[in-house]
Amino acid sequence: MSLEVWAEKYRPKSLKEVINQKHVVARVKVFVDERNIPHMLFAGPPGTGKTTLALCIARELYGEEWRQNVLETNASDERGIDVIRGKIKDFARTMALGGAQYRIVVLDEADALTAEAQQALRRTMETYSSTVRFILVCNYSSKIIPPIQSRTAVFRFKALSESDVKEYINRIVKGEKLKIDEKAVETIVYLCEGDLRKAANLLQAAAALGTKITESIVYDVASQARPDDVRKMLENASKGKFKEARSILHRMLVVQGLAGEDVVREIHRQIYGLNIPDDVKVKLVESLGEYEFRISEGADSLIQLEAFLAQVAAFLGKT
Amino acid sequence: MWTVKYKPKRLAEVADQAEAKEKLLKWFEKWKPGRKAALLYGPPGNGKTCTVEALAAEKGLDLLETNASDVRSESKIERFLGRGVREASLLGTRGKIILIDEIDGMEASADRGGARAILRIIRESAFPVVLTANDPWDRSLYEVRGLCELIEFRKVPIRDAVKRLEYICGREGIKADPKVLHALAEKNQGDLRGAILDLETIAQGRKQVTLEDLEVLGKREKEADIFAALRGVFKSHSALSAKHAVSSVDMDPSEIFLWIEQNLANEYEKPEDLARAYEALAKADVFRSRIIHRQNWRMLAYMVDLMTAGVSQAKKEAYRKFTRYQRPEKLSFYSKTMRTRARVNQVLRRIASRLHCSTRKVKTEFLPYLFFLMKREEGFTGRLASALNLSEDELEMLSSFYR
Repeated sequence: MSLEVWAEKYRPKSLKEVINQKHVVARVKVFVDERNIPHMLFAGPPGTGKTTLALCIARELYGEEWRQNVLETNASDERGIDVIRGKIKDFARTMALGGAQYRIVVLDEADALTAEAQQALRRTMETYSSTVRFILVCNYSSKIIPPIQSRTAVFRFKALSESDVKEYINRIVKGEKLKIDEKAVETIVYLCEGDLRKAANLLQAAAALGTKITESIVYDVASQARPDDVRKMLENASKGKFKEARSILHRMLVVQGLAGEDVVREIHRQIYGLNIPDDVKVKLVESLGEYEFRISEGADSLIQLEAFLAQVAAFLGKT
Repeated sequence: MWTVKYKPKRLAEVADQAEAKEKLLKWFEKWKPGRKAALLYGPPGNGKTCTVEALAAEKGLDLLETNASDVRSESKIERFLGRGVREASLLGTRGKIILIDEIDGMEASADRGGARAILRIIRESAFPVVLTANDPWDRSLYEVRGLCELIEFRKVPIRDAVKRLEYICGREGIKADPKVLHALAEKNQGDLRGAILDLETIAQGRKQVTLEDLEVLGKREKEADIFAALRGVFKSHSALSAKHAVSSVDMDPSEIFLWIEQNLANEYEKPEDLARAYEALAKADVFRSRIIHRQNWRMLAYMVDLMTAGVSQAKKEAYRKFTRYQRPEKLSFYSKTMRTRARVNQVLRRIASRLHCSTRKVKTEFLPYLFFLMKREEGFTGRLASALNLSEDELEMLSSFYR
């Protein structure tokens, strides 16, 4: 167990511990009680309990020995459908342990699979449906091809409300016997944008700093823990220092291997904080959108973002 | 070109291949319409085609020839060879040999029906047909093989290759260290045509060649080429000459792309020029991704045009300066850090599986906080390491890699 990481330590273990998502949990409970689950598709924003619910189902069905009947695989790390098929095949060939009738494959971040890979997955789901149940987890169900959607029970996870997040924070506060003021709780709720994983991480980092967690500590931690490479890069570009900006971009994408989409998202977030005229901000956002679209269609994120930085430098060089 | 100038005129001049030549002659003497064709096979540059040419010359025959550079669809083959194969020449005085070169170079789709047409020609030809191939066991040649007598051409032994190179040097009045010729033969591994080409590259217009000259071949030649090409792209004002600048570089277009990308920011200085040039590269990259994702190789032409002509037209005027061009960092980075990155990935995978998420989420969602905790909380690194079943060193390596 990885109990040193609170996001893991306070991951709900049973259906009744899951934060909200009542409409989903109620139906899943019926399946679990009858010990017969269909293929399922969990879709919803990050940090709302999708993977957690999948693991809870496994616990409810197989007890503490659940791991031996569950194959967890992540499409973002294993994109090749052959890898997935090979693993699934090997897994499906061995009988379920402990008298269970079938085993479970949790395929996380399934929206990272290409359309072709999903076609292949669809056949795999059919071939092994007698011995294996699939739980696909994704952010956007629209990225999952219709034939797969029609073979699964689709569950949409709601964005969590402020009181949901507060409930979760208080659970951790109690468990760790933390001292925290109400303002600090609200700040975490505000910063984590409904993502419980982020809430747990923020809280843990803040707790490391002092005896009593306050609003200013939370802000402090949030700004220190967030890598400010993107901010530095944009600042350089907006001062016309293109080469410096480019080398930061290289470090993030080539050396550290960050995903282009993640960097784009962070740029988008930071454009509004830049010290530049508002009409330029809008122009930059428009141009960023074009580059993100190209990246999502398969273009190289390094080249596209270099072009974006060159635009930033040229835009602001003029004014 | 020396490969043309010193092409053997008679069978005896063809280097080595004694056995193959004898077999071919025997086959030719016995040949009557309806008998098997001859399929000469073996690695490139060892004399298959020129043996057939020498045979035709020696016997006073016309040679009707088609090779892989022609498109060989059914209709084209029929148009080109069909009549010539079935009717005796109108003038009627000379016979013919039909040569269908490099038959394993046919592409399934572009030459659709081509194989069928070739089978028909072999069956119906009034004249002997000779085919050549590098790999006679290629699946697409299954039927053709059945209608052919197979004659193997082996790699030209180093001794024979050196002899031929010596002969050429003698005729060209060049003094060559025997070691150089030996090295050329060895480098080309039985490919005599390649060895002759290399010899011409280093020796043309000179009286003497030495071992140092050999270094020009291969890598150095490649880099000299790419530097010249970069100058052509960055300095030229004409779209067409920028495009042509890269055409003779012996490099994958995507590697040339990396060289242009690496050096662009050192050459262009004005922000507007840079923005336009990078946009041209970004568009070239969009075409690259269309090639990869749709296998649409027609798009290659547009990728190359944009990264060359597009970049050259991005500047208002050429920069009058000398730029020392560098090799692409991306390439050298990947090769230099291969082992570290593999270890980092392994650690990331371990963490990802413990935290039930992808390595991408580990990097964006967890690492910033974990590194923060490692720095700020006494003893956290050790506890985290044992919880994740890692060593503290592995965690430290991770944090130094990302900081």
